[in-house]
Amino acid sequence: MTLRHFLRRRLLMVVPILLGITFLTFMLLRIGDQDPVAMLGGPMADEAALAEIERELGLDRQFFVQFGIYVGKLATGDLGESWQSSERVADEIRNRLPASLELLLSAVLLGALVGVPVGLRSAQRPNGVFDQVARFVSLFGFSVPTYWIALMAIFVFFFLLGWAPPPLGRLDLATFPPTDITGSYLVDSILTGQWSTARTAAGQLALPVILFSIIVAAPIIKHTRAISLEVLGSDYVRYAKSQGLRPRTVRRIALRNSITPVLTFIGTELTGLLAAVSLLELIFAWGGLGQWGLNAILTGDFAAVQGYVLVLALFSVAVFVVIDLLVLLLEPRATLRP
Amino acid sequence: MTDVTVTTPAPVPGFTWTGRILGITRRSPTFAIGFLIVAIFAFIAAFANVISPFGPIETFSDKVLIPPGSEFWFGSDGNGMDVFSRVMHGARFAFGIAVPSAIIMLVIGVPLGLIAGYKGGMIDEVVLRSMDVLRSFPSIVLALAVVAATGQSLINVVLVIGFLDAPIFTRLVRSEVLALRSSGFVDSAVAAGNPTWRILFVHLLPNAIRGSTAMIAVRMAWAVRISATLAFIGVGIQAPTPEWGAMIRQGAEFIISGEWWVATFPGVALVGIVLGFNLLGDGLQDLLDPRRKATGK
Repeated sequence: MTLRHFLRRRLLMVVPILLGITFLTFMLLRIGDQDPVAMLGGPMADEAALAEIERELGLDRQFFVQFGIYVGKLATGDLGESWQSSERVADEIRNRLPASLELLLSAVLLGALVGVPVGLRSAQRPNGVFDQVARFVSLFGFSVPTYWIALMAIFVFFFLLGWAPPPLGRLDLATFPPTDITGSYLVDSILTGQWSTARTAAGQLALPVILFSIIVAAPIIKHTRAISLEVLGSDYVRYAKSQGLRPRTVRRIALRNSITPVLTFIGTELTGLLAAVSLLELIFAWGGLGQWGLNAILTGDFAAVQGYVLVLALFSVAVFVVIDLLVLLLEPRATLRP
Repeated sequence: MTDVTVTTPAPVPGFTWTGRILGITRRSPTFAIGFLIVAIFAFIAAFANVISPFGPIETFSDKVLIPPGSEFWFGSDGNGMDVFSRVMHGARFAFGIAVPSAIIMLVIGVPLGLIAGYKGGMIDEVVLRSMDVLRSFPSIVLALAVVAATGQSLINVVLVIGFLDAPIFTRLVRSEVLALRSSGFVDSAVAAGNPTWRILFVHLLPNAIRGSTAMIAVRMAWAVRISATLAFIGVGIQAPTPEWGAMIRQGAEFIISGEWWVATFPGVALVGIVLGFNLLGDGLQDLLDPRRKATGK
């Protein structure tokens, strides 16, 4: 099986999943008692105006007719227009996704850089002092709500100490966004050599990224430890030890065999985080996809919710494909299998 | 076997409750700490109206946003309510959500897992696939959508959380049943002519549920967390109900201006109880599966 075959198969498998998720979302939105027509019309709207809005949104038609129309447009790449802002949903997503990804990916990178070594170190001596402390820290990361720790951090680092800038988005008001290359303000401003912009962007990014990386690192520590312990207890590591190999060499063998499951785990975790980051975006007024999606759910903007859920699903599919390819690269035993 | 005499077993020499408690504490300090934390919160929840100095929505309109001090231990909020009393009453909502949603998770998840594991074939396949679709949704989005769509009451929040977590128990129980299905006691039960439901619920259930006990505590932690998150976003339970997430939401606007106590204390309570449940679950796993401690699985 060639790489192209593999990718094609994966993409074909995605279609029914996306359809299922789209249908489920479509149905949940419509059986609920959230009334977008009344929300759009406002308290002053009369019967006729409400009926007009309902007709315009297509909500007066039969459920399956509505769904058919939506899927038909979807097939041509048309996500429709937001009911609240009348902007095209696809444009909104394109404009906001980079902000979320910038925050998410930097936090995952930082979380993995801290979490993986800590997990490996914990497994070296299970139930030792380091392991106990790491376990507690990891449990704390599991238990602390993102939004609360964000509020606490804003109080301490912005209000009390004045180290952090006000939590009002990705740049301060005096700075213009850099030329759009990757969508990340930090990377773009470095690429174009706008150092003051880069400094501002990094300053705005620091607090949310550090906070989110705590949440990201907690499960990474736990699973890296478990995976590493399993590898260390395996027959081949015991064999390597009994051969009298140096501890450093044994550790290298163990590490080499832990990488793939750890990577796969980080991938699985990543898929849920695009939704989880939305609360942090809300608090830091980040203007990202999550904040927009959250708002869409609360205001009954069905078209936007639909697009948001679709992006989340697509994102997790993309992550899995990337992880599969990475595993292929790192793991000599892995072959292309459907 | 007609003359069966039942004698109460003589107490094991040297058995004392203190000894037992100390033994468990030594074997898993994690469990002991978690249990203690949860027990304290349970006590607070049970006697909130006796031990809290004020009512949860008792308003002192002339004493708005007073910092923590001798009158209001945790300060007063923007409505002039006592944060300390409200945090204590919040414990009731935490348990009021965690316990019923755990029951729903089990009532839906466990029978499905039993049947899917025991019957196998098509039923297994259908149950597993539908659970997969449910799990592939980011749970916070699904919870938000459902609660936003089906109305904002405590019962809805509990139902949604229970439904979302049921698949976890289905999977756990199913894998246990798969391992037990071909064991001797099941074969004998079939040979003795037991109906399927009896085999499932009398013979298999007690053996298959063991692996799920630790998970119950962990999912209760999640239930408390996610319900608070929903309230913080503004769906689900609304202020001035003394629910911790709703209280943090109230306090969020005061953080920038320096009135930190309104959001801080409900958050500390929230972290405390969630940490307690998580420690409890982690420790239970140590106690129930001693191998895990060594292998870390």
